[in-house]
Amino acid sequence: MLKEILKNIIRRKSVVPFPQGFRVSPEEASKVTDLQEKIDAVFGRSLRIRQVDAGSCNACEWECTALTNPVYDIQRFGIDFVASPRHADAVLVTGPVSRQMELALKKTYLATPEPRLVIACGDCAVDGGVYKGSYAVTEGVANVVPVDCYIPGCPPSPMAIISGIIQLLEKLTHLR
Amino acid sequence: MMEGILRKAKRTAEQGNEVYLEVAREDFKKSCVFLYEKKRAFLRLMFAADERETGGEFKIYSVFSVPGKDRFYIVVLPVEEGSPTFPSITSSIPAAHWYEREIRDMFGLVPEGHPDPRRLIFHDSFPADSHPLRKDWSLSGMDKKEWGEGTAGKVPYRFMEVEGEGIYEIPVGPVHAGIIEPGHFRFSAVGETIFFLEPRLFYTHKGTEKHFEKIGFPEGVRLSERVSGTSSFSHSAAYCMAVEKAMGIEISENAKAARTLLLEFERLYNHIGDIGNMCAGTGFAVGYAKGALVKEELMQLNERITGHRYLRGMNVIGGVSKDIFRHRDDILSTAERATREYKEMMKLILGTVSHVERLENTGILSREIALKLGVTGVAARASGVNDDIRKSHPHLLYDKLLFEPHTMAKGDVFARMMIRAEEAECSLSMIDALLESNYRGDLTVGVRAIPPYASALGYAETPRGSVFYWVMSDKEGRPLRVKLRSPSFCNWPAVPFAVHGNIVPDFPLCNKSFNLSYSGCDM
Repeated sequence: MLKEILKNIIRRKSVVPFPQGFRVSPEEASKVTDLQEKIDAVFGRSLRIRQVDAGSCNACEWECTALTNPVYDIQRFGIDFVASPRHADAVLVTGPVSRQMELALKKTYLATPEPRLVIACGDCAVDGGVYKGSYAVTEGVANVVPVDCYIPGCPPSPMAIISGIIQLLEKLTHLR
Repeated sequence: MMEGILRKAKRTAEQGNEVYLEVAREDFKKSCVFLYEKKRAFLRLMFAADERETGGEFKIYSVFSVPGKDRFYIVVLPVEEGSPTFPSITSSIPAAHWYEREIRDMFGLVPEGHPDPRRLIFHDSFPADSHPLRKDWSLSGMDKKEWGEGTAGKVPYRFMEVEGEGIYEIPVGPVHAGIIEPGHFRFSAVGETIFFLEPRLFYTHKGTEKHFEKIGFPEGVRLSERVSGTSSFSHSAAYCMAVEKAMGIEISENAKAARTLLLEFERLYNHIGDIGNMCAGTGFAVGYAKGALVKEELMQLNERITGHRYLRGMNVIGGVSKDIFRHRDDILSTAERATREYKEMMKLILGTVSHVERLENTGILSREIALKLGVTGVAARASGVNDDIRKSHPHLLYDKLLFEPHTMAKGDVFARMMIRAEEAECSLSMIDALLESNYRGDLTVGVRAIPPYASALGYAETPRGSVFYWVMSDKEGRPLRVKLRSPSFCNWPAVPFAVHGNIVPDFPLCNKSFNLSYSGCDM
């Protein structure tokens, strides 16, 4: 590891590029650079998210995890996923909300300090997705807790999640 | 030897590599134990089906496969509606313990002599004597509401209690600190040392098997892709295989090659990501970041060649939806770059003593326990169980590829990491080998209507272990039963054995080394 650190010191610093094939429209790219300003304006530099899996297949979770990898590196905008709802500004919920997770989701929501935001991330969280009609799900987060922002996709790509968060912030900026 | 059990069978049927042996109640346990003890067979899965519309009976199926033979011996026991019990085989075959509890929850068929009378799947607020996979089952609106509210203790669950001087309990979850799936863990610890762990899972139970019956076979492909996110392709490949077998069609060589290639893609991105994730378990940030980077590159390749980062939408009944071989150059150049970066990453990880020291001798799962509990996949091979569905039941193009399952003896976290490393390299060479030839045939072959009461078994080796789908059609050719068994269902019961005697802070590391799916297990 020491070698690795030394190598990093000696080597010329370079920004990790979005890998080849990473398709992003100019419009989207400019939105990402705006993100910092918006978070500054609304939350004073930081947006802390508590992620709750309410019955997702785990693909949405991995896309959220990917947001923190060196390619997307969402922390550089002041956004981070936190370990406790008590530390969070927003709750990001994935999955169709299985009946056996309903109570845990409500409790997590209530544990988040107000004013709290709820992001429904993924097709399942929006309306139950492919699980719509099953006896064991509630068909969407909005049936359990009030939702402020929907991010469709199965799963939404890391870029789509960022866009969704931007939209939420835009909505809030307009409210001001 | 096998003749004895064949003679005992009331009825036998053979289709492909599946041998169905219908036995009388008194012979059921004997036949299963014979296969398990005398033939050293693996219990692959065990399930029930509500076949009352055919002969007024439920049926219990236990599927075994004998090492060295590409055959499944499926012991079938009819259970009459009037006396809904069957002899439990758990006392002789511990691997059956969760299956039997699952059958009791979902069908209300009671395994007589099972050591654990508690429910497995449903939590306290789910009504008693309510069994969703029975055809005549329904749940009232009130019951549904109360189930979701979760406060009514209709059937209280008793956690095991450990008593003794200095033992205290640490309850964790279902919502955890990281971005992970929900599950409840109850540690009984002495100081920092874990004396006993009881996981309470099934928070993400989504009624998937019942939902399969409702939506029909073609739409089922989409659902099978969404059972466990990072094994989307293996699940749908196994599901499609089962449905195609029931239909009586065979997919083209081209489609077989594409499926084989994508199964290895899925293994590759998961294994590399998992090795990186284990670094997160020891706080080794550089290793974690490197793993995440290579994984991201592979996922972007997935998106370029299939249109989806998790390879969804590729499998269709009868073949695959896109021609991935036209991206040969892109695949080769990305794989080459990934290989280089991956090797560098492994050098870094194995050269970091503080990391490796945490992995060695941590979370040891003995071979004996792994065999008894029917553990599958990486976890089994790291404990010295030489079992890989790709080898033991060759399907797709696996019989044409040269490879040997890797095994290690120790069964610790380090062994599970090294098995992944070796398999990742093996996948890379398989991908190269698969890209060398040209394959004949169309992407898809024509589908047929499924004959009434046709059944078949589909399987694949996911990055976590073997996945099985068993499908049966009703008289209109719609799904009568879709049973799915994900590798995590087999491996979860082994985790408490692996963490026993370790310290609580090493639990996340042990857990990451198994990398089990909650959603796949809970369904």
